[in-house]
Amino acid sequence: MQLYLPIAELPLNLFLLLGMGGAIGFISGLFGVGGGFLLTPLLIFVGVPAPVAVATSSVHIAASSVTGSLTYWRRRALDLKLGVVLVAGGLVGTIAGVLFFNQMRKLGHLDLVITVSYVTLLMSVGCLMFVESVGALLERRKGKPAVLRQAGEHRWYERLPFPMRFHRSKMSTSVIPLVALGAIIGFIGTVLGIGGGFLVVPALIYLFRVPTSIVVGTSLFQILLTMIVATLLHAVFSQAVDVLLAMTLVVGGVIGAQFGARTGQALKGEQFRLLLALLILIVGIRFALDIVGAPQDLYSINATVVDR
Amino acid sequence: MSAGFSIPARLASLVLALLALAAPVRGEDLILALSTREVAITSTYTGAEITVFGLIERDARTIARTGNYDIVAQVQGPTGEVTVQRKGKFGPIWLTDDRKKYAKIPLFFSILSSRPLTAVVDETVREKLMLGLEYFLPKPEAQPEKRDLDDFGFRNALLRLRRDEGGLTEDPKSITMIRPNLFTARIVLPATAPTGLYLVNLTVLAEGLPLKTAQAGFVVRKVGFDAFVANAARTEAWGYGLFTVLMAVMMGWIANLVFRKD
Repeated sequence: MQLYLPIAELPLNLFLLLGMGGAIGFISGLFGVGGGFLLTPLLIFVGVPAPVAVATSSVHIAASSVTGSLTYWRRRALDLKLGVVLVAGGLVGTIAGVLFFNQMRKLGHLDLVITVSYVTLLMSVGCLMFVESVGALLERRKGKPAVLRQAGEHRWYERLPFPMRFHRSKMSTSVIPLVALGAIIGFIGTVLGIGGGFLVVPALIYLFRVPTSIVVGTSLFQILLTMIVATLLHAVFSQAVDVLLAMTLVVGGVIGAQFGARTGQALKGEQFRLLLALLILIVGIRFALDIVGAPQDLYSINATVVDR
Repeated sequence: MSAGFSIPARLASLVLALLALAAPVRGEDLILALSTREVAITSTYTGAEITVFGLIERDARTIARTGNYDIVAQVQGPTGEVTVQRKGKFGPIWLTDDRKKYAKIPLFFSILSSRPLTAVVDETVREKLMLGLEYFLPKPEAQPEKRDLDDFGFRNALLRLRRDEGGLTEDPKSITMIRPNLFTARIVLPATAPTGLYLVNLTVLAEGLPLKTAQAGFVVRKVGFDAFVANAARTEAWGYGLFTVLMAVMMGWIANLVFRKD
């Protein structure tokens, strides 16, 4: 059944959209990531113009993170305080990212530097997580449960000024590294047009040793706040939010996210980290394939703007 | 027109000469009618088909012709700016190294004819009637030494990519001659064709020479719900954005209630 989308200006199959929304929603609920890095290219692939795909993905991400966050909230697996601190940092990073993005065009091939460092970052995080989680799984086989945090242990960045206690996350740390983390993620997200949830999740697990289930819930909450702001900004400035496309994706997405969140709760910490490592590696490889290897067609139509 | 004037028979010549004196010799007239003047886009829209009915009108004063008529038409949609980008190699990786913008390019362009275009018109007539998207591109430099190889590649890519996207079509079977002077032309509009005004330029030819051109137009626009949404997104951007966010949050919340086990 074809449905004409009023802003994207093309008809798409209703069931295809529901299925796409559902699959990405499942991944979002399971890993605490937004899924925009998968949904946006998928939408562009089926013919949606790039600005509409980017803007409309943010609505889908907002909806799946609402349903995911609520599920984790009910299970007391969401650290509201931690989420707010990360969002505060994210705001700073986003503003810096927007300013940088506008300057970048004048600086030539800086996008090359960013893309290469981003691919490197993803691949190394993915590889490290993969090795660590496989090791932890093998340890568990031998009957030795892996412990990520020793009681009372604090790393140097956690001992910086402005300490804060996060009861739900069972940790106390300086606010500075948390705000910095939020800012870096916000910056990368704005420049590359991705949410960055899949960088927040490993950072909280490994750098701050927050329990996995709480990391996912908190990450979803942070994504929710970010995406609400992003949707409003897109609607006002690029006017590329397609409400019909968004709602179709959302119906699939919220259902998928429910199943994802449930599956996530049933996973052991090591299993979760292994699956996330694989996901991060896949995303890294996708970005790498974009720039390595000869393209099939050197030319492409990058944008079409109708004269009004 | 007068160059093609011929007298069929000696006896008739006097009558014809008298007629010619009384009124100047006339060329053919072309009368067009469209199956629809408005293509309405609704939620179930998947493209449209428009038929142009045409009549080549002649009367006693019209000069006689030996061969059949040929019909060619070009359909031009709304124009826009198209950006073509090219990838280049930087060490081991491929990145965008150049892009060119082309303004005022018809975003839908279709060439209709009753038989292959090359059999109907030569290069001069083709350019005169602008039967091709290439005639809408900026002219290349006159001096060959100034002509840019880059520019050539980009122009070719633009035409090829527009063809692949369905924004540039050529159909030599889209015009059907019902009678020697009566025909229909079928315009197939893909769902991705932009909204706006479309102009049909239809020319009747004989022996490769254009005799008469007529124009007709139609409009493609969103109606009902789709028009409402597109309008709201443009004129009430804040309200539209807030509504979208609210809907997303509500649906996320409802899904959570529905799936709650406890």
